[in-house]
Amino acid sequence: MFATDDAIVAIATPQGRGGIGVVRVSGASALSIAASILESDGPLQPRHATFTRLRAGTRTVLDEVVATFFQAPHSYTGQDVVEISAHGSPVVLNDLVHRALDAGARLAEPGEFTFRAYLNGKRDLVQAEAVADLIDAATPLQARVAFDQLEGTLTRRIGEIDADLFDLTARLEASLDFPDEGYHFIDPEETANRISAVIKAFDRLLVDASRGRMIREGATVVISGRTNVGKSSIFNALSGTCRAIVTDIHGTTRDLVTETIDIGGLAVTLVDTAGSRETADIVEREGVVRAARARQVAALVLIVLDGSDPFVYDDDRTLLAETAGQLRLVVFNKCDLECPQSGTFVDVPSGHRVDSDELVRVSAKTLDGIDRLRHSVVQALSGGELLRDTASMSNTRHIRLVEFARGHLVAAHAAVASGAAPEEFVLTDLQSARSRLDEIVGVRTTEDVLRHIFERFCIGK
Amino acid sequence: MNFDVIVVGAGHAGVEAAYAAARLGCSVGLCTLSRGTVAHMPCNPAVGGTAKGHLVREIDALGGLMGRAIDATGLQFKLLNRSRGPAVWSPRAQADKQRYATWVTNALEREPNITWIFGRAGRVLASHGRVEGLAMEDGDSHACSALIVTTGTFLNGLIHVGLEQRPAGRHGEPPSRDLAESIRAFGFQGGRLKTGTPPRLDRRSIDFDARVGDESWTVEPGDPVPVPFSFATTVPLRNRMHCWLLYTNERVRDLVRSNIDRSPLYNGQIRGIGPRYCPSLEDKIMRFPERERHQVYLEPEGLDVNEIYVNGLSMSLPRDIQETLVRALPGLEDAHMLRPGYAVEYDFVQPTELRSSLETHRVEGLFFAGQINGTSGYEEAAAQGIVAGLNGAKRARRELPIIFRRDEAYIGVLVDDLVTRGCLEPYRMFTSRAEHRLLLRIDNADLRLTPLGRQAGLVDDEQWTRFEARRDRYDRNLAMLSKALIRSASGARIPAAQLLRQPGVRLDALAEDHRVDLAFDLCSRELDLSSVETVVKYEGYLKREVALVERTRKEGGRRIPHDFQYFGVPGLSHEVVDRLSHVRPETLGQAARIPGMTPAALAVLGAHVGRTPPAAMLP
Repeated sequence: MFATDDAIVAIATPQGRGGIGVVRVSGASALSIAASILESDGPLQPRHATFTRLRAGTRTVLDEVVATFFQAPHSYTGQDVVEISAHGSPVVLNDLVHRALDAGARLAEPGEFTFRAYLNGKRDLVQAEAVADLIDAATPLQARVAFDQLEGTLTRRIGEIDADLFDLTARLEASLDFPDEGYHFIDPEETANRISAVIKAFDRLLVDASRGRMIREGATVVISGRTNVGKSSIFNALSGTCRAIVTDIHGTTRDLVTETIDIGGLAVTLVDTAGSRETADIVEREGVVRAARARQVAALVLIVLDGSDPFVYDDDRTLLAETAGQLRLVVFNKCDLECPQSGTFVDVPSGHRVDSDELVRVSAKTLDGIDRLRHSVVQALSGGELLRDTASMSNTRHIRLVEFARGHLVAAHAAVASGAAPEEFVLTDLQSARSRLDEIVGVRTTEDVLRHIFERFCIGK
Repeated sequence: MNFDVIVVGAGHAGVEAAYAAARLGCSVGLCTLSRGTVAHMPCNPAVGGTAKGHLVREIDALGGLMGRAIDATGLQFKLLNRSRGPAVWSPRAQADKQRYATWVTNALEREPNITWIFGRAGRVLASHGRVEGLAMEDGDSHACSALIVTTGTFLNGLIHVGLEQRPAGRHGEPPSRDLAESIRAFGFQGGRLKTGTPPRLDRRSIDFDARVGDESWTVEPGDPVPVPFSFATTVPLRNRMHCWLLYTNERVRDLVRSNIDRSPLYNGQIRGIGPRYCPSLEDKIMRFPERERHQVYLEPEGLDVNEIYVNGLSMSLPRDIQETLVRALPGLEDAHMLRPGYAVEYDFVQPTELRSSLETHRVEGLFFAGQINGTSGYEEAAAQGIVAGLNGAKRARRELPIIFRRDEAYIGVLVDDLVTRGCLEPYRMFTSRAEHRLLLRIDNADLRLTPLGRQAGLVDDEQWTRFEARRDRYDRNLAMLSKALIRSASGARIPAAQLLRQPGVRLDALAEDHRVDLAFDLCSRELDLSSVETVVKYEGYLKREVALVERTRKEGGRRIPHDFQYFGVPGLSHEVVDRLSHVRPETLGQAARIPGMTPAALAVLGAHVGRTPPAAMLP
């Protein structure tokens, strides 16, 4: 059952990149939610558009926005509505939605704004019936079907994890309801192990989720390295343009050069940066700072080294150390000259480990290895899976539900492992986790739990 | 004669119904064949068990009979799940069937508002959708404002032993056909269910002494310090008899397999649906071929009778095969079978025909309780009996019904499950059915329900005085635990409650080691202490559960008018309209629990039934 007076939020403009995107919040607390998102002097005025900024905070995106307050009943839904217009990037809009969620809103079900409009007399019955169908489609069964067409593998994966969790809860329930049947259903150690296995499975799913989002919304790939190792040549080779100026002079590239290209079906924003080196030139120094910033937000960093002379310079080592926790590829350029072969450089002199699958050898001059580099970029961004078959979650709702479920499981695991609470208490956490997944895989009732038990065990005297 | 309330049937549902209505001051007619058919246990000689023990504690907290009766006459007492958490502890006792029945009969005799009506009930009298009375088969008739039908397995009962069939409600008792016909005539939806019972053996043909030291037999003793069912029990309980555990073997398996075509369960003779949680021996062996052996408990049926109940061997094979099969068990080579196991098929009324008060939607003043509603078990029956008796009395007095919520009683879970979901198989209570299980413990059954029972008129002065003392004790103990400072392992002085919250720390030991002065009733010490211990130790979990309950009540507590027209509400599918019109949920929460409801249908419904103020909220 969903409520009809709490605050709901969603992106109101069509999916994908547009110039301007709108995030809509509806509900009695819309105004206070807006207030906690926006940096603004005083409350928003009804029917006024207010130019303001997003509050600094834990979220990274800082952007200028226009917020408009429609006071009940003079709004689309008939409730208090705040619409926030921002730049149309999916990243910015998703960030806005997340801020609203953090402030207490919940994600709107498909068609829910229109449904509320109907409830508040803003839509007539004919439209409302169509809306009811729409919402009906959001109930798990139909939603699952619709969802399967888009991302069948994801539902399957969540379903598999949920099945494990379901079996675990059924066994625990059986151990409580049927203590004298002569069965060993499960013990605490087994319970703890199985819970942590489910947590790990969710972790893998969540890692894939961030990749999934990249695929849908595009990813930023930043080319970094010392000066004059051939970053701009690689930029041009990958993008098939001559956007970046290439010379033999150290420090030719000073500002960020970007180009959006298609690599293996991925929308990639390729960024060429100034080479890292100590320099007295103010312009070049600013370029180096920008390069560092670009690296921090990159989905993938390409660290370009001179293949004939790698790891010799401090700058190389610093760069490797800085990006150690990031998704990255180490590119040996100039392999037409002299390029050491397999595996020799896996252990970097300074001790910073480079995995051999992070290494790619190319020659931007002869274009040798450029296709291999493209392939590696796709591999790195998509987690090695074929794109059309990826089981990643890119739906904000699903990510959030899985994160919630994971939180409950962590609590359950802690209680079991420490012996702090008996089974029936632990089960409340497991049930909370499962109820989150219900929204994805469909509701299962205690009837289903009992069926599961009776199918597997001969219970009863 | 003229009664406020008439109860048909004096089984576990009937006696509780009559007793409850009588305590509310109503004149009650209790209709049964004879004084010798009251509070029978036609199946296992036991009361309680997981979740069922919870029901008995709740019945007791509401002033019912079952808890006191079993404490007074039980042969052996056990607290199940003692190694688990306090929310799933459940008392179970072996019953002395005869003494139990006598105890209950005497209690009813002492109740001045109850009058016996001996004889066979014939017809429900009703006009214009309202109950007017009961006609007996012999032609007599009695008027009443509320009629509570608790006929168990008697409606068109059919007993099967092998290929033999005979109409019967229970062993040796004829079924109710006229009454069945009269009920059917109202147009209730219903169906046919099946249940079964195992053979009984003659105690004198079994050499129990020779089994001491026999590895194939295990003695099953009671608890060293029995925990009583009733809050009223102040005399320490005693175990008077053992049970024995043995196992089926390959010979039993082969006998069942080679004679399966003579089992009415497997040759198509039985159509009714049996309970999955209480499978017949035939089912156990045919459906779980991988299980090498099955448990068999030998349970005495009483101190003064020779029947031994063979728990686990419920079957409907022909008599001669049952005899051979029993003797194939180790140590039972010479056992004499007093009567064979049998299966019984009977009519039940889909409980979706009922409101949460157990009154039918179709006929005002007509109530159903017990096995007729598709449940199984004495405890489930008794629990419904209290609800029907209470609300039958309320109907007779033209007062509003009293409904127990899912978050305050297993009784509430039971009734709500029945009236919103209906039955596809005999319904048994399990702790997993109660989503707020943590709050519904045996240790707090009185704290949850006795004040409600008092308000309703179910709880007499004696019980109320005892309860007030117990509640004071509980409050004092809680205050003591947060107040008393004790020295922790690190040397710091901390409140006792804080130490108690640490894993592995038990109240009993803590109170002793640190001389914390706690008050408790000597006879129910364990549960007295556990009610305090649990709320301190698991405070976090319980608080979260309470918050969840409040949220659920806020969303689900909105009332739907009884005459609400679902037809014509835009956005509801025909299927959903049909289901809602049949079940007629009383609240949005109930509507949500109806199988097949979608969130969208609920939202549409919620918008259409309008808003009612919080005062009108129901479960």
